[in-house]
Amino acid sequence: MASLPFTNDIRTLRFLAGEMTQGELGDRVGVTRQTIAAIEQGKYSPSLEVAFRIARTFDKPLEAVFQWTDGMS
Amino acid sequence: MAFREKIHWVTLVTMAAAFGWYFLVYPWQIADSPAGVWATAGLLVPVTIAIIVAMTVATAFLAIRNRAEVDLKEDERDRSFHMRGTHYAYYPLVVGIWVNIFLIFWGISQAQQLNMMIATLVVAELVRIGTQLYLYRRGY
Repeated sequence: MASLPFTNDIRTLRFLAGEMTQGELGDRVGVTRQTIAAIEQGKYSPSLEVAFRIARTFDKPLEAVFQWTDGMS
Repeated sequence: MAFREKIHWVTLVTMAAAFGWYFLVYPWQIADSPAGVWATAGLLVPVTIAIIVAMTVATAFLAIRNRAEVDLKEDERDRSFHMRGTHYAYYPLVVGIWVNIFLIFWGISQAQQLNMMIATLVVAELVRIGTQLYLYRRGY
């Protein structure tokens, strides 16, 4: 699978949010710990709903969590 | 390994073992006679019971060992894997059905048609579960 055309800062944001675990974030947004791990590693592209839920959990706009990688179509 | 993935492994191994045994012990010498249909019925009873018992015991055992994950609902990634597994399982299912249709016109016996359908279903299920397991291992 080609790498996703965007990156994310979820790991950093979790750390800044009191070292929130992947499981805790998963519980808050309604997905499993494994799904959060896959999103963090850029292996899984979440739905728009989950992306927004993650951003809202950290009280950040979507683009502060997910960043489109320049040069990728 | 996640609880859901373990359950898929149990299902895959149980199905492969149960139906592997079925096709191994089936009396192929009577497959052209009406008795072949009853042989299928007779063998499907222990196969079904074995699958139910094995799945129940394994699920209970895994649930006790993975209490935290038992109540987790399928999320969007799980559903996506399920859909992709079902999609890939569709191909052997269609091929099997068409082969069976062709063989009916060819004049094969009812018991052989029955076994062909069972084989088609088993292969499709193994492809579905196998695809899901592959996707869980790969992570996406």
